[in-house]
Amino acid sequence: MEKHTLQLTESTSDDSRLRAFFKALSKQKMLMLMSLPFLAWVIIFKYVPLWGWTIAFQKYRLGRDIFDQAWTGLDNFKFLFQEEQFYLVLRNTLVMSSINLVLGFVTAIILALLLNELRRIYFKRTVQTISYLPHFISWVVAANIVQTALAPEGIFNVLLLQFNIIDKPILWLGVGEYFWSILGVTEVWKNVGWNTIIYLAAITTIDPTQYEAAEIDGASRIQRMLHITLPGMKPVIVILLIMNLGHILESGFEPQYLLGNGMNVEYSENLDIFVLKYGIQMNNYGLATAAGMFKTVVSFIFLIAANNLAKRLGENRLY
Amino acid sequence: MLKTSSARSSSVGDKIFDICNYIFMIFLIIVTLYPFINMFALSFNDANDSIRGDIYFWPREWTFRNYEYVFNESNVFYATFISAARTIVGTIISVFCTSMLAYAISRPEYKLKKFVSITFIFTMYFSGGLIPGYLLIKELGMLNSFWVYIIPGIIGVFNMIVIRSFIEGLPEGIMESAKMDGAGDLTTFIRIVLPLTVPALATVSLFVAVYQWNSWFDVFLYNSSRHNLSTLQYELMKILSTSNTGTSAADQYANAQGNVQMVTPTSVRATMTIVASVPIIMVYPFLQKYFVKGMVVGGVKG
Amino acid sequence: MRKKNWLQTSLALLTAVALLLTGCSSNNDEGGNTTKTNTSSETDGKTGEVSKDPVTFSYFGFGTNNDVLASETTIGKVLQQQTGVDWKMEYVIGDPSTKAGVMIAGGEYPDVISPVSELAKLLDAEALIPLNDLIEQHGPNIKRVYGDYMDKITHEDGNIYILPFTANIGGYLTEPDASSSIWIQRRVLKEFGYPEVKTLDQYFDLIEQYQAKYPKVDGKDTIGYATFAGEPGQFYTITNAPMHLAGYPNDGNVMVDLETHEAKLYQGTDYEKKWLQKLNEMHVKGLFDPESFTANGDQFMAKLTSGRVLGFSGYIWQIGNAINNLKAAGNDDLRYVSLPIVFDENTTDAYMDPPSFVNNRGLGISVSAKDPVRIIQYWDNLLTDENQKLVQWGEEGVTYSVNEEGRFVMNEEQLKNRNDNDFKRKYGFAYFDYEWPRYGNNSVYEDGNAHMPFSQPEVADVNYTDGDRALLEAYGINTFSGFFAKPVERPWYPAWSIEKAQGSPEDIFNQKAGDLQQKYFPKLVLSEGKFESVWNEYLEEFNKLDAAGFEAFMTAKVKDRVAGKW
Repeated sequence: MEKHTLQLTESTSDDSRLRAFFKALSKQKMLMLMSLPFLAWVIIFKYVPLWGWTIAFQKYRLGRDIFDQAWTGLDNFKFLFQEEQFYLVLRNTLVMSSINLVLGFVTAIILALLLNELRRIYFKRTVQTISYLPHFISWVVAANIVQTALAPEGIFNVLLLQFNIIDKPILWLGVGEYFWSILGVTEVWKNVGWNTIIYLAAITTIDPTQYEAAEIDGASRIQRMLHITLPGMKPVIVILLIMNLGHILESGFEPQYLLGNGMNVEYSENLDIFVLKYGIQMNNYGLATAAGMFKTVVSFIFLIAANNLAKRLGENRLY
Repeated sequence: MLKTSSARSSSVGDKIFDICNYIFMIFLIIVTLYPFINMFALSFNDANDSIRGDIYFWPREWTFRNYEYVFNESNVFYATFISAARTIVGTIISVFCTSMLAYAISRPEYKLKKFVSITFIFTMYFSGGLIPGYLLIKELGMLNSFWVYIIPGIIGVFNMIVIRSFIEGLPEGIMESAKMDGAGDLTTFIRIVLPLTVPALATVSLFVAVYQWNSWFDVFLYNSSRHNLSTLQYELMKILSTSNTGTSAADQYANAQGNVQMVTPTSVRATMTIVASVPIIMVYPFLQKYFVKGMVVGGVKG
Repeated sequence: MRKKNWLQTSLALLTAVALLLTGCSSNNDEGGNTTKTNTSSETDGKTGEVSKDPVTFSYFGFGTNNDVLASETTIGKVLQQQTGVDWKMEYVIGDPSTKAGVMIAGGEYPDVISPVSELAKLLDAEALIPLNDLIEQHGPNIKRVYGDYMDKITHEDGNIYILPFTANIGGYLTEPDASSSIWIQRRVLKEFGYPEVKTLDQYFDLIEQYQAKYPKVDGKDTIGYATFAGEPGQFYTITNAPMHLAGYPNDGNVMVDLETHEAKLYQGTDYEKKWLQKLNEMHVKGLFDPESFTANGDQFMAKLTSGRVLGFSGYIWQIGNAINNLKAAGNDDLRYVSLPIVFDENTTDAYMDPPSFVNNRGLGISVSAKDPVRIIQYWDNLLTDENQKLVQWGEEGVTYSVNEEGRFVMNEEQLKNRNDNDFKRKYGFAYFDYEWPRYGNNSVYEDGNAHMPFSQPEVADVNYTDGDRALLEAYGINTFSGFFAKPVERPWYPAWSIEKAQGSPEDIFNQKAGDLQQKYFPKLVLSEGKFESVWNEYLEEFNKLDAAGFEAFMTAKVKDRVAGKW
């Protein structure tokens, strides 16, 4: 009896909560108008094409509709997870994207802090404009420059020989162990200026009176950077970090493909190249889709974990 | 005012810091400017001579032939117009729509805030694949149209998050007082939020503009047979791919016959790097002022 | 109640947006070739009358070229006057496989397609129509040209879907300037009085001696030997070598026995070991350039044009630009010549391609074609002797001349034009001389002239420099092909064109075996004192793959081909 009433009250409270929800929502017509058309857009353009995930369970043949396809169950996933090579490329992918993530964040934040400390406005603008130029160069060109610089007679070896750091030229791209570092530095070189832009925008929102106050208190430059500028950038940093953790299996494709060769293949080959070789080039759309689904699952795990961690630490959250 | 006070208080440590900072910046300028100088030198160097390598800072055998080759394709100028059009239209529409959505999901009282946010955020981490995407565009009747450049990209989720976090950083009081004055959400968004988030909007505009300007894959997929919708990047891709002789069977014969190439992929690529990136790089200085000195919030306060 | 309202509102919104989206774009659709009309000109065919009404068809090539309207070229214009047919020609930009994928998914095709590497995909999707009846009814010239090759162009299901580009008729003329894939700098030969170089040992020995004598060029170290294996896509340069050295032509990754027609892999065999051991030996002596495994195309080319490299491996289509650059530079000593190098004295080289038929490259008519009959008639007209001369040689007196003996000749300027890409585009050679139904490259006209201008000895001769002539004279030959043995008939050739179903065990074997080579070749060549143990490790890995299955598959296919089932 008592149990029954309890259930009853619970359901009414549920009902009233729902009612309250809709009542509140009905007052938010403008907000709904500002967001729901885009919700429709995202469903059409992003969610509807998800029917394509069925391809992962098929031996997909182009130009036939879904009923004419041969269903293969989990075969594509089995091929993926039973392939020895898969675990090697997974390792490479994780290492390279972690390096890119850490280096990318640290260098862009430091550069933003340093740029903010430049006093001559024209110099500051010049540095900023030039530093983001490599972003506009295609990877083919960038890789070519890196390969030239790292050649046995390239500038890098010449300088190291000059300063007696090495005694004979090193074939940098021929030593697998160096590949991750080379890639990390290359990515920084190409993108650090570009990545800085968003932090510079974040710095503009910092209240200038804070700096004035700090100056009166006699804070040094470094102290101001660490205690005013950096905290001012923190919300953006946290949000970007969470988002990028979701991309942990995206280590890039072109740089690895272009800088990779037989001598460093055990370090340079990543998931995307593996999928290109065994999926796309062999027209195995099923395998490519299965790999994509695997990446999505991993992404979600990282994304949700990072977001929850941020929540627990009381930081800004993604959602 | 600010300048004099900081000059007065700068200590020895600060001076050392400044010197190191300037030295570092000059180093940065050198390494990041180099690729462009190199492309410039290659694009003005005779293609056949470039095969010998060792072109770094300056052309060895000057020529305008690479540029002639690129601009000879009559469609290049028209395609530049299309690129500019998609960049301008695409950026305006996308930034407006994205920031509007960002405003809606930044409102703490909005009941669907979380649902809408998550629905969008998740899409950053999956894709239905190339073929389903293509079929969707086809079913929507958007093949061979200009709008295929604009509509599939009206919301950038990353950009939405960036703008949202800027809006959330605004002092809540400003929006509260707008509400007090009887302003609705749309008015608040247009009159208050947009002007106050100019640095974020400038940043996002740059992202969208660069994305739009550099895109060629959507042209390749959806509009490759419509010459009047071709973009600069796509035309340059065409020019590059046809400069790559020596791969087709027919060319093997020509190659074997001592046929010295007027252009090579390397030279054409250098030239197209310059041609394609100079216009978009010009955009930056115009947007730059919005994020070099923001201080909008302070201004409002004062 | 409220819930329903909310649902309705959102649904209404959704539909509104969807409608808006479709509305925006549907009026932009008029340009697509959406209509499928398979009607017209059926009647013309029956009466044997060829319609000359102006019409424009679409042509799509999965090779590289510039888009063009055929009638804007000289050749296209002439053909249009004959037939009334014009072509809107388009070529793939970017990844052909992706393009083919969306083309098939969309289900709308251009009128004719040259699928190049995408043939299997298009056939699987039934995108091409059978040509058998069309040829029977409207293609007397097609039958004349392809008649001898019917078994080779007929697909397993008994239909003909494409007309390949390699149907040689009227004899078989080998190209005058064939090349192998192993080159030596001319000053090395000159230094030692133009010796006979036949074996790999002799070749490397010569390089070693020369290097010892002249360790520096212009203050920089000479490089003994380099190969082009720094780009994953070019790795075949080094992996193909054992096949050539053992006296076999380019059959891909197998060597096919002339008698038994067994296809054997050479990966993991003594041939491969011998090759790598030799390279390793050179490396230990400091004569092998380790950058061979990391240099990209530009770097490799720059190295060759520097004149520092004494010998190298590479196919002409990979290094043509460097070879031509050196020729233009004018220093004959620094130029290269390719030689018929084999493993041992008794082996006959097989660098010159045997008569071959590539049946998986060709031009087909798509299911969307508006008027297949007109297209076949156009092709048939293209295959007259007269029009074949037009697409290769052009017009007499303009792009070539005929001498007193009736031979086709070119002067220097005509030859320069025939080689100039701009001219080739304007004139139409670039569009019409290859990816159409045509006489094969080795064909000979009834009057004895070569079909390909560059196969005409008189034309080849115009190209020779004094240095070329001196070198040829020293070896007592007239053309560079004189270095090489005459090709032997191999009825299956080339085995590399055997289609492997995509994603099949053979396809995966290919990929994995290739991956192993990429991984182990550098280790083997650059190993110092550990060659044997690395080799054993490599073999162990290789033996895990189903080589026997792959060989059985290839042998069966080769035997099919020999038996006439292509």
